[in-house]
Amino acid sequence: MKPTTQKRIAALMFLSALALCLPAAAQQSAPIAQRLQSYDLSREVFLVGSVVKFDPASATPPIGAHVLLQTSSGQVDVHIGNAQLLKANHFELNPGDNVRIVGESLASGDTAIFAARIVQKGARAVVLRNTKGFLLTAASTLSQDQKDALRGVR
Amino acid sequence: MKRLLLLLASAAALWTAACNGGGGTVVPPPPPPGPFGLNSLNGTYAFVTNGEVFNGAAVTPLARVGSFTANGTGGITGGVEDVNSAGATGLATPITGGSYTVTGDGRGTLTLNLNSPGGATSINFAIVLTSNTDGLMIDETSTNTQTSTGSGNFVLQTGGPFTVASASGPYVFDFSGLDGTGAPDSIVGEFNASGGVITAGVQDENDNGNIPATPTPVSFTGVLAADPLDPNGAADLSNFGRGIATLNGINYVFYLVGGNRIRFLSTTGGEMLAGDAVAQNNTIPANTAALNTSFVLIVSGSSGAGGVTRVGRFTAHGASVTNVILDTNNAGVFHLTGGTGGGGAVTGASISLDAVNPGRGVVTFKDPTLAVPFTFVFYLSSASNGVIQDVSQGNQGATDVADGSLAAQTSGPFSSTNIAGTYALNWSGLSVQNGVADEEDFVGQATISNLGLTGAADTFQFQNGIVTDLVVGGSITAGGDGTGSGGARNTMSVKLTKNGSSTVNFVVYVANPGLAFFANNQGATRVVAGILKLQQ
Repeated sequence: MKPTTQKRIAALMFLSALALCLPAAAQQSAPIAQRLQSYDLSREVFLVGSVVKFDPASATPPIGAHVLLQTSSGQVDVHIGNAQLLKANHFELNPGDNVRIVGESLASGDTAIFAARIVQKGARAVVLRNTKGFLLTAASTLSQDQKDALRGVR
Repeated sequence: MKRLLLLLASAAALWTAACNGGGGTVVPPPPPPGPFGLNSLNGTYAFVTNGEVFNGAAVTPLARVGSFTANGTGGITGGVEDVNSAGATGLATPITGGSYTVTGDGRGTLTLNLNSPGGATSINFAIVLTSNTDGLMIDETSTNTQTSTGSGNFVLQTGGPFTVASASGPYVFDFSGLDGTGAPDSIVGEFNASGGVITAGVQDENDNGNIPATPTPVSFTGVLAADPLDPNGAADLSNFGRGIATLNGINYVFYLVGGNRIRFLSTTGGEMLAGDAVAQNNTIPANTAALNTSFVLIVSGSSGAGGVTRVGRFTAHGASVTNVILDTNNAGVFHLTGGTGGGGAVTGASISLDAVNPGRGVVTFKDPTLAVPFTFVFYLSSASNGVIQDVSQGNQGATDVADGSLAAQTSGPFSSTNIAGTYALNWSGLSVQNGVADEEDFVGQATISNLGLTGAADTFQFQNGIVTDLVVGGSITAGGDGTGSGGARNTMSVKLTKNGSSTVNFVVYVANPGLAFFANNQGATRVVAGILKLQQ
């Protein structure tokens, strides 16, 4: 990610501080009638906390990477999704790291998960989902040289 | 499976796993008996796969389309291939040779040698024949320049030598993949072809969840032509059915399978869209009142949680829809709509057919436990087949981007009496192996007798490597075709054994004794869907 993009994202996250900080309510059971829903930017909030555990392929659904985050209101299970995206950005999440995560609560079965769209640690941030909530792939991190190299794929 | 389940792997681990092959040292069993052999693959076949590739830099989505000629004795004598990896294309690469094997059960291998700009290379597949004219395949390429996987199929090309006029009449299509920004995209629709001119095109697109408030088709035109940039353009069109197309402003390469099927792959604009157009015949119902059919359906794609599959069935009587059952696997979270054990009877179920766009329709139903109704757009290519796209409307656009197939459910009830014989299987999707979630592709063959399965298969998941000659066991539990008052459906358990064993559990929706759709309905570390097809 280009530094300018990182700064822009960091600025947006700072401005988001005016919004609600999601409490542990993200862990509460979702109302049944919310189970079929789409990502909605207007519902976005951010979490601030420290990483308790990072699991690149959790056995707990949704499939993919999860972070257990300790917030001031309790622990929240955050769905990161694509661990490869963090790796491609040389971005690690280790126990004790202080992070901010932009996202929103989405129904997942009989409970809810916090779907992360942006994760920030220090001055660095990585976008995990697009603005419609769909997970990004490592293809979104490729440099122009790497994209050009794909033309050699057969 | 269609290819939107794109959680990607650890690149370093992938390279290691792929190079190791992961197969172990078990001595393969003797060739199984059966009617197939080298001469079962004889002619020119159009192939397509969708999956992903690792080229040393990153894991990216990959779609292939091409044509190869098999000589009936184990040799590949020519062909041509096009690829698109996340919008980067490699076009009209000549296939200079290769080889293949086929054992009695229809399983085998296929190697295609390529004369690519970077030098000679080859790509490898595991195959299983469903007949002498078609089969299923997975990409098992692992060379020093790339590792790739994906699921697809190949179909004998007939009716050549080809011209653009070989495409004639109305066609129904389903293209899916990624838009120019890398977001999931699905386009279903229909068009008319005549002399290379595309007219009367209409399509429904779900691009990154952006859909109209009510399903509304968009009109388009287009063209089919020989490829002026292909040094062998005229010969490739004549021999392999390869040409270029523009549909609704997007450029594609196409392969004519014959007059009844055309395979497309996008080539410009950064999109990676692939799919087939299938000739539409005159058996499609003329209006909603003429509908009197049970259908099974399968869609797969992307949701906000990751990969999603939906497989199910419904019965249409005019505008009324009954006996709705839908199994959803949303990134490892399972939900049953209707049926035994579901969240209650569906409401508001209805179906309609367009008055002006032949075969286009909308089916909708409401699960009482969900906030919004399920809504699907479909285009019928015949009275018994079609393509279908999920356009369920959430609060901010579609709940997911997913599409797939619709097939009439006939010849039920299904039991050990009529679900019997030798079947080809393929599934694709996402699984967690060795601690990493990544694409998983499976192709195999099984004999079904008294609802028990015995056979063999290959799988490829980058973290687990290529595993060949897995022993397939398991069983089908005949619960019902979904039309009974209890709404029971069938399930299948597949046990895979080689240096250990694992079991994958599925729900199975049988369209007819020759075809079934299935998706896993247990296990939070797998999201896969596939087909079971009787060998002919």
